[in-house]
Order: sequence, then C-alpha cells, then structure tokens
Amino acid sequence: MTVGLSHYLILGAALFGLGALAAITRRNAVAVLMGVELMLNAANLNFLAFWRYLTPQGMEAQVFVIIGFTVAAAEAALGLAVVLNLYRDFGTVNVDEASGLKG
Amino acid sequence: MSTLAVMGAFLALTVLTLFPAIMVISTRNVLHAGFWLLPCLIGVAGLYAMLDAHFFVVAQVLVYIGAILVLILFSLMLTRDVMNPKAPQHNGLVGVAVPICATMSAICALLLARHPWPAGPVAAAGAQDQTVALGRALIGTYALPFEAASVLLLAALVGAIVLAKAPQSEPPAAERIECPGGEK
Repeated sequence: MTVGLSHYLILGAALFGLGALAAITRRNAVAVLMGVELMLNAANLNFLAFWRYLTPQGMEAQVFVIIGFTVAAAEAALGLAVVLNLYRDFGTVNVDEASGLKG
Repeated sequence: MSTLAVMGAFLALTVLTLFPAIMVISTRNVLHAGFWLLPCLIGVAGLYAMLDAHFFVVAQVLVYIGAILVLILFSLMLTRDVMNPKAPQHNGLVGVAVPICATMSAICALLLARHPWPAGPVAAAGAQDQTVALGRALIGTYALPFEAASVLLLAALVGAIVLAKAPQSEPPAAERIECPGGEK
C-alpha cells in the first residue's frame, strides 16, 4: 500500500481539527495562538500535498505556503503584543476573564 | 525506498505530529503545551521532506521552530504564573467543541478518502531545480503577492512594536535630561 494524496489530506484534516479544538477550548490566550498555528500548519501541509501529487511543475502552491508562513509569523508577533497588552491591562491572559464589554 | 518503508515513515511522522498536537490541547501546564508543539512542528517538517518540498523543510525549522515557537515560549514565560495551575485550563465549551471538531475532521477525512485522487506522486524536479524555480517565480510571476506578504509582515512587526511598547506616563524629554551620559 503506497502513501497517497488522501493520506496527507486526512492527516491535514485531523491536524486542523485538533488545532480548532485548541483554539476553541483553551483558556490561556497563548494556547489559543498555538491552536491557530496548528491550523496554519495543516493548511500548509495540504497545499504541499496537493502540489506534490497534482501539480508538481506549478509554483502556485509553494507561493501560497510562503505567504502562509508569513501570515503565521505576523500572527505570532502580533499575538505576543496583544497578549502582553492583555496582561498589562487585565492582569490575566485568560480569554474568559479578559472581557471589557458588558454581557 | 520500498513502499513499505515509505508507509512506515509516513505512519511514524503521523504519530509524531498528531500525538504532540493532542498533548498541546490536553496538558494542564501551558509551558509544557508550548514544548509539545516542538515535536509536532518537527513531524510536519518531516512530512514536508516526504513530499520532496526541501525548501519548506528548512523554512519550517527556521521560521516555525526557530522563530514562532520561540516567540510563543517567550510570551508564555513573560505571562508565567498568571493562570492558577489548579484552575481548569479549558472553558465550558469542551463538551460541545470535541464532538463538533471530531465530526468536522471525520467528514473531511471521509470525503477526501472517497475522492478518486491520482494514484502515485508525479515525478517532481530535483531539490536544486525546485528551489531555483521557486526563487524565479517569487521575483517573476508572483512578485506582487510576495511583496504584499512582505508589506503584511512589515506592518505586523511595526504594529507589534507599537502595541507592546509600554505606555509612557512621563514625557520622555525629562528622562533624557536626567541621564545625559547614558550613551556609550
């Protein structure tokens, strides 16, 4: 049995589900960011799997993955800044408690 | 490599990716969750290697493990001891989110498994040709999206600096007068 495209896509779906679970259920804001990173990794894995199996001569998927890496780096940098501000203003990094609006 | 060895390597990398991902979600200590992210990202880098995406193996190790993971661990340590470790680490959505995420992944996996994809990988170019072609594409056909990504990164970094800068309670000019010999 050879490793096919569907194997990578199923793994990507599982990784995305786990990342979504972390982003939804974790209370620590940094752990939520980790979940987002897992989801971005799943997306990049799917891009490269499609590239390898369907269009190995094209460059579109690789360019998309580079942009995905850039977005992940930007998200991590901004996430750190937001978490630090959250810590400074609310004294907590718990996303449940950091609510400035009523309701 | 025989197909059995490739399958074994894929399964090993799957375990190396998914088990740490589960630990990232479930472990109580958030710092441990950050460290569990490391084998997960290494597993994804290994999968990139299996997909012959050599440039992205290096990029994954440099950008994700070298930069993003360090940034995440950094922010975890800066906000350490903020959350009570005895308090629950998950919100009340666990009972709803686990079935929803599991169903979503299962439906995706089922649909993707049933779709008739081409059987084997098409022959890809060698590592050097691939990287050369990617570099040419980035300054040729895809220069605009690449530059847009650069601008996004620049804006994000400037924004991060502005956001993370401590609010100034005193005018900065007064501090400069007090310590004129501070520069070296």
